[in-house]
Amino acid sequence: MSYKCSRCKRDVQLDEYGGVRCPYCGHRVLLKERSRDVKEVGVQ
Amino acid sequence: MTEEYDVEFVEREDREARFLVRGVTPAFANGIRRAMIADVPTMAIDTVRFVENSSVMFDEQLALRLGLVPLTTPPVGEFVEDDTVTLSIDVEGPATAYSGNLVSSDSLVQPADENVPIIDLKDGQRLEAEAEVVLDRGKNHAKHQGGVAVGYRHLQRVEVVGDVPEFEEPDERIVRGVIEDDGELVPTSEFDHDLTNRYPDQEVAIEDVPNAFVFHVETDGSFTVEELVTRAAETIEARATELEEAVQL
Amino acid sequence: MELRVTESSENELSIEIAGEDHTFMNVLKGTLLEHDDVSAATYDVNPEQSGGQTEPILTIKTEGGVDPLNALEEAAVDVGEKAVAFRNAFEAAA
Repeated sequence: MSYKCSRCKRDVQLDEYGGVRCPYCGHRVLLKERSRDVKEVGVQ
Repeated sequence: MTEEYDVEFVEREDREARFLVRGVTPAFANGIRRAMIADVPTMAIDTVRFVENSSVMFDEQLALRLGLVPLTTPPVGEFVEDDTVTLSIDVEGPATAYSGNLVSSDSLVQPADENVPIIDLKDGQRLEAEAEVVLDRGKNHAKHQGGVAVGYRHLQRVEVVGDVPEFEEPDERIVRGVIEDDGELVPTSEFDHDLTNRYPDQEVAIEDVPNAFVFHVETDGSFTVEELVTRAAETIEARATELEEAVQL
Repeated sequence: MELRVTESSENELSIEIAGEDHTFMNVLKGTLLEHDDVSAATYDVNPEQSGGQTEPILTIKTEGGVDPLNALEEAAVDVGEKAVAFRNAFEAAA
């Protein structure tokens, strides 16, 4: 699961025990990135 | 039973036309109208694979917008069920992605218009997707409707029956469609839909001409008006044949 | 197009025509009524508000000993001819 720190804009890997916190700047607001998979959508 | 139909064009362009049909029953006129709207198959995007979408709209919203883009439909027989055509789009902001940015794998299936906006992309946003196109009919999804604004009105016969008495303030007589005046077909738009413009100071009588209908047909660009009308008649013909065969069994 | 006879007698026939709607049924009904030996023809797309039944049911009554099924067959032929005649007239004008 990849996130991006909302303050320093660096990619962050979250691990189970580290809590929600950017390891580089300590900021606690992380943004979830869109997955790089190709997504197939039907026209409804 | 001998069918005496007579067709005459009043206005005619590629995507829009007005034509008069004589000798047709109201039921048949309505059957043709409904067939044009719901039963003539057209090409439209059905599934979209998003490689990248960093725009402000969700994939599903963009998929719907792409689905509604009118595409040219190949001639009958060129395209059979289960054949697929792929369209791809790749636009990077700052720019607006238009239907014209769709690149087709088949020259027969192209966006009918180049200028349908899909999404406005800001700096750094990008849309990259591939779309699968299928053939289906309007009955199943509005994106497959080839006919937009399809309707008919009775042909109206106008006859001068006398003069308006002097000093009488004439009321406007609004009529829409096409009138028949001594055998001449005149679209009401020519006199601003007001009979008092065409027949000043004259008393006129209007009546519907039985079994004469003026169709107004506009297509979404999938094909020409002629194509749409012909194919609509063919769908009715096909169903009649199917019923005939089913009854014989 | 699947057909299922729901009621049948010498001069009356009720038949379900699966997969059709007003587009074809109304044309067919209108054409049946032009037939000299058809005394009544009607269709219903939602008979008796019956739960789930939405396939149209066509009912034909005939007179003069004519088999309603034959009348239906003739009407189908007529509809086909009308469609062809219309297409030809249109193409002649186009």
